[in-house]
Amino acid sequence: MGKNKVVVIACERSVNLDNELEGKHGANLKDVDNAYVVRVPCSGIIQPRMIEKAFKDGAEGVIAMGCQIGDCHFREGNKFCRERMLGMRPPVIKKTVPKNRLKGLWMSEVQVSSFKKRVRDFQDHVAVELEKEAANAS
Amino acid sequence: MFTKIVRAGQIVFLRIEDAFNKIFSSEQNILYYHGAMPNFFMWILFLSGLLLFAYYMPTLEGAYQSVEYITHKIPFGDMIRGIHRYAADAMIITVALHALRVYFTDRYRSYRIIAWYSGIALIFMMTLIGISGYILVWDERSYQIVIKVSEFLAAFPIWGQTWSHAFINDNSISNYTMSMALFLHTGTSFTLLVMLWIHYMRISRPVVNVTWALGCLLSGIILIFAGLMPATSGPEAVLIATPTYFDMDWFYLWIFPVMDYLGNIWTWVALAVVTLIAILLPEFVKSRDDEPATVNKDACVGCKLCAVDCPYEAIYMAPRTDGSKFKEIAIVIDARCAECGLCVGACNFDAIELPAHVSTDYMDKTRMILEATV
Ligand code: SF4
Ligand code: SF4
Repeated sequence: MGKNKVVVIACERSVNLDNELEGKHGANLKDVDNAYVVRVPCSGIIQPRMIEKAFKDGAEGVIAMGCQIGDCHFREGNKFCRERMLGMRPPVIKKTVPKNRLKGLWMSEVQVSSFKKRVRDFQDHVAVELEKEAANAS
Repeated sequence: MFTKIVRAGQIVFLRIEDAFNKIFSSEQNILYYHGAMPNFFMWILFLSGLLLFAYYMPTLEGAYQSVEYITHKIPFGDMIRGIHRYAADAMIITVALHALRVYFTDRYRSYRIIAWYSGIALIFMMTLIGISGYILVWDERSYQIVIKVSEFLAAFPIWGQTWSHAFINDNSISNYTMSMALFLHTGTSFTLLVMLWIHYMRISRPVVNVTWALGCLLSGIILIFAGLMPATSGPEAVLIATPTYFDMDWFYLWIFPVMDYLGNIWTWVALAVVTLIAILLPEFVKSRDDEPATVNKDACVGCKLCAVDCPYEAIYMAPRTDGSKFKEIAIVIDARCAECGLCVGACNFDAIELPAHVSTDYMDKTRMILEATV
């Protein structure tokens, strides 16, 4: 069985993915099946709607990634992004978004390999969550 | 080559910070308070300085004795003196850390330029406060500092003599000299607050305080130094004798060995060159072409979220005059905008966008990627 489809909306200043992407849209993460990366200038630009939309368009899991909390090139981008996802700062994520399959990842430029591991772990997590959801639905 | 060094410096910072995060958690990572730490030490200095000020006597006869009195007679006087001294050193060390961090992580230029220039001014002011503070003790070192500074000032072309006399506050060292030193020490300290206010301009929610735990840690370090290595005076200055004692504080008194080595004129030249380089440093890097955030007035509902979240105070809300049913509209001050996109993330109505990073483009891109996978 293939891995679950995961979209990472990533700050271009966090984990350095310059040489880690391939494929048609330059979005496929090397060494990780079915993980796709969209790079943005700062995690602070990630609107809750972008996350909603990614789920709607077929992502089974979404990761929003910025630099380590406490460090942000634009001072507060990752902090605000995190707070929005946790519902602590408006605009917040809609209730209909499957929050159990949404993850915030806060890593710095130098953590490429552990980033990939975290993505794989998240895919496993998504698989479990999807199974649970299917069981609840039936 | 140059950019490589800067990159390497950034990586070093990131790696150390990562390690600290793992040990202390990001909340208590001292390196994330590189700007707040000098501030913390500044308040310790104000407080301990106030206590010292209560017993200090700014006269040639009284100064040395009053410092001795504080050190040996006042309960904990020696500790307070030690705290004042080591907090001052710690302030310079943390300022240096702060300056290096913002430099290597490229957070000092373009929309941050006010902070950079005022930071340079703050370093000069701190050095002046430090040097005048060492005069107040009025031991042999103080005496040498007064002589050297007055000669150094006098060496400046045209205005030098005037400055030199203003510094001594007469033609010869007198009680007025002590008053002047005290004025330079305390007056400049209070002016620091004004410069700090400028330093924080255009920064929303600056991090000015360390956490309680870190505050205790930093205070503890200062206390240990003050207890183990008490600050002491050298022999009292005697105006007719030749002073020899000069205990070095490399954080504030570094300029004196430089003067001895280069001579006064060349020290002026060196100071000017170094300052000029610091001022011009932001110009060495090419800035990207600016495309500040733009507001779509038809979509903006005046919810203020972008104005609240902008980390550089670049957005303000203005009353609407176009007959819209909404009362206010967001206005971006282009020159302040960092193109960070935090306002875009804050807007639920796609009303504010970065022309180079339109949010709907990212959504389209995500859709395309996902469609390509089925
Ligand atoms: S967040 Fe959007 S709608 Fe609200 S004031 Fe700003 S631009 Fe207008
Ligand atoms: S992009 Fe938006 S949030 Fe960032 S500085 Fe400019 S106006 Fe402020």
